[in-house]
Amino acid sequence: MVQSDLDRQIEQLRRCEIITESEVKELCNKAREIFIEESNVQRVDAPVTICGDIHGQFYDLQELFTVGGECPDTNYLFMGDFVDRGFYSVETFLLLLALKVRYPDRISLLRGNHESRQITQVYGFYDQFMPKYGSANVWRNCCEVFDYMSLVAIIDDKILCVHGGLSPVINTVDQIRTIDRKQEVPHEGAMCDLLWSDPEDISGWGLSPRGAGYLFGGDVVRSFLHTNNLDLIARAPQLVMEGFKHMFDKTCVTVWSAPNYCYRCGNVAAILEFDENLASNFKIFEAAPQEARGTPAKKPAPDYFL
Amino acid sequence: MTEQMSVDSAPPSGQPTSGPHFDFQDTQTGDLGVLAAIADAMKSDSLADRLESLKRLSVLALAIGEERTREELIPFLDESIDDEDELLLSLAEVLGDFVQYVGGPKYAYVLLRPLENLAAAEETVVRDKAVESINKLVEVMDQPQVEEYLIPCVARLSAGEWFTSRSSAAGLYAAAYGKVTDAIQSKLRAGYEALCKDETPMIRRAAASNLEALVSRIEKDHVLSFAIPNFRRLADDDQDSVRLLTIEPLVAITKCLSTEECKQYLGESVQRLCVDKSWRVRYMVADHFVAIATNIKDRELQEELVNVAISLMHDNEAEVRGAICTQLDGLADLAAPEAIVARLQAPLQELVEDPSQHVRATLGKHIGSLCRVFGREGTIEHLLPLLLRLLKDSFPDVRLNIISKLDAVDNVVGIDSLSQSLLPAIVELAEDKQWRVRLAIIEYVPLIASQLGMQFFDEQLSNLCMSWLGDPVYSIREAATVNLKKLTDVFGVDWARSTIIPKILVMANHPNYLYRITTIFAITTIAPSVTPEIVRDLILPSLEGLVNDPIPNIRFNVAKSLVPLTMALRKSPETAPLEGSVIRPTLARLEEDRDPDVRFFASRSLMAINNAQA
Repeated sequence: MVQSDLDRQIEQLRRCEIITESEVKELCNKAREIFIEESNVQRVDAPVTICGDIHGQFYDLQELFTVGGECPDTNYLFMGDFVDRGFYSVETFLLLLALKVRYPDRISLLRGNHESRQITQVYGFYDQFMPKYGSANVWRNCCEVFDYMSLVAIIDDKILCVHGGLSPVINTVDQIRTIDRKQEVPHEGAMCDLLWSDPEDISGWGLSPRGAGYLFGGDVVRSFLHTNNLDLIARAPQLVMEGFKHMFDKTCVTVWSAPNYCYRCGNVAAILEFDENLASNFKIFEAAPQEARGTPAKKPAPDYFL
Repeated sequence: MTEQMSVDSAPPSGQPTSGPHFDFQDTQTGDLGVLAAIADAMKSDSLADRLESLKRLSVLALAIGEERTREELIPFLDESIDDEDELLLSLAEVLGDFVQYVGGPKYAYVLLRPLENLAAAEETVVRDKAVESINKLVEVMDQPQVEEYLIPCVARLSAGEWFTSRSSAAGLYAAAYGKVTDAIQSKLRAGYEALCKDETPMIRRAAASNLEALVSRIEKDHVLSFAIPNFRRLADDDQDSVRLLTIEPLVAITKCLSTEECKQYLGESVQRLCVDKSWRVRYMVADHFVAIATNIKDRELQEELVNVAISLMHDNEAEVRGAICTQLDGLADLAAPEAIVARLQAPLQELVEDPSQHVRATLGKHIGSLCRVFGREGTIEHLLPLLLRLLKDSFPDVRLNIISKLDAVDNVVGIDSLSQSLLPAIVELAEDKQWRVRLAIIEYVPLIASQLGMQFFDEQLSNLCMSWLGDPVYSIREAATVNLKKLTDVFGVDWARSTIIPKILVMANHPNYLYRITTIFAITTIAPSVTPEIVRDLILPSLEGLVNDPIPNIRFNVAKSLVPLTMALRKSPETAPLEGSVIRPTLARLEEDRDPDVRFFASRSLMAINNAQA
């Protein structure tokens, strides 16, 4: 892919306009080539800004970049759940993917529990393709990319970033490295737990009300951090009204980046900036105001008939 | 195509084939496959396919020719009318643009029949679209055709038993009226009057909302004898949903009348509508207030209307108070300036404290327009205190609206006194926690600066402008750099050299890379506005450290910034050689960087420099 083409596609996606089906295909192929080179445990250097769930809220992602800085000037690590629920899952995911392909060293994308064939068919990502592309082919391409995305990132050997949390069958980071991640998110096991588990004020492990993954307590976090010589676990997928939430004596933090979640929760969102000395700083932001949101573009039906 | 067809529209068994049969296959022209496909799709079980086939109807019509379109396709469409609203809507739309396919204007009438049926449909959007399409047809039809085909159609719809057709009929009178003889016009008026008296509120609503269009087509005499009585009847309707629709026809009627006539025929109705017990009616009055008042040219009535406006400012409903705030500008012209100033003061005081934030936001947007009438002294005495209060409003939209409209105030009172009185508020807002408010203030600063002068600025605002460079929000830092460039343009290069550049360069040592990047952005932005010597003596040396920054984001932004810096250096023969001795070697080094993005931006900058040379 020629770089100027890619730059044009990024410009287009930044205006919330979709790119063509063949461009998506090429983009997905390119992204797969990049992700396949990344390990299950992606090494990321500080400085970097960590972001939680986006869920297709495209204009709020724009707001995130307005507050945090544009890629590539600012480095980003997104901890999954790019799609579903919001109105613009397709544009959101493709923009992040295009940025990843264009600036692989400046932005990292981890897999979330919504980056899955099954979940996206229920929560909206799949349904957004028909009106936009007239077929589910593009959705299939995107799902193949999901299978190659990293599960975990470690910043400067000190901060573990993962979408959900820990797993009872994982004690060391090296065990994560041995997972065969190139598959649909399974219903149980280590890979499933990393994407689905939640921290909770309990000791040890508990059953998760989500029906997948586990609840894990402060003692579990402490022993995992100690074993692996880490300082902090950063994770995403629980709505917190203030945008972020520390737990267990600041050894675990939830970062939530979808302001006014589902356009009605009234929450603020946060991103977590780590500078080059790992000094951290939360940036809080609100949903983009109405004037900053385009009206949903009415695309004509695809020309498949004649 | 065939492959997709078979996937998307696999026809189930037992396809209903009743109704008129239209054999598309025997046509002599066109692509048989395409036509067969359209025909198939029209009978398909899938709504999406049937919809799609409608969009392709013109292809089919072109292929079979005008005559067969008239004689076979249109009757087919008419008789096989579907029951899916989405499809009916689409058909109603297509038929409005179909004149060219049935043989031009002289055959436009053949489209009336299916559209008449659609105009009686149950779903409102279908009916509205059918009415819109019929009105399109009327535009190209001549008088005999209108009289022969459209008038009976309007009559049939008006006499329809079910409310749907009568409601559609109301939308057809205006277009028909201009194209028929006097005798028929009088029948149309009678017919319309019957709709205005209809016992179904929905019909009266339709009659009220179409009255405006009709008023614009009838002669003055009939405005008096026909439009006004019907307007008054509807304005007295016991349904507020009917009354609120009479405001727009009222505006149209007042336009046709003389001052005296307005007073005589409408005064009473207008006054009643203004104090209507339904707030929705009062909202419509408030929203059209200036249009109504201006058309009623009578000065006495207008002064009375100012009282009405003031009472609307005190209305119980926030919507009404907000609507009348949008009319402040025109309102100010309805009475003598002194009177307006005196009478508006008290209500404005209250609106500033309005419990609804939306009312205050609307007020914030429009209050500035009053300065024109209040004059310099009046504005300073009466409006500025209100503006100050609004600037401190707890709702950010209010603050934002005031700031973005400040220039209207500037024009009247002069920036000098405005800045003096508003400066404390502006300084406070410059630290507002809403970054969009801070942004609005930043964009306003160069204007204030140019008026205040350098010394005053340095004392009051300079620190503020520098603090924005360290703002936690990226876009504020970016706007801050643009602001510094504009200030450099205002105060000159020497000022920049001694005041802002040293402060910018200090930030090059910030421990956080995002703030070091801001330094580079600032340098890049102001480079075109400073002298080549400043670039050489101050800027280039400070970049040396940043070229070797451990963070790649810094290094590739240095690479980017070298393009505008080179352009600045080339302006003087003394500094131009630095391009060869410093810039190019630096870029060459960055082209060998270990980070791919740094290499990319370095070679792009080199290319840009080379291209700019040629």
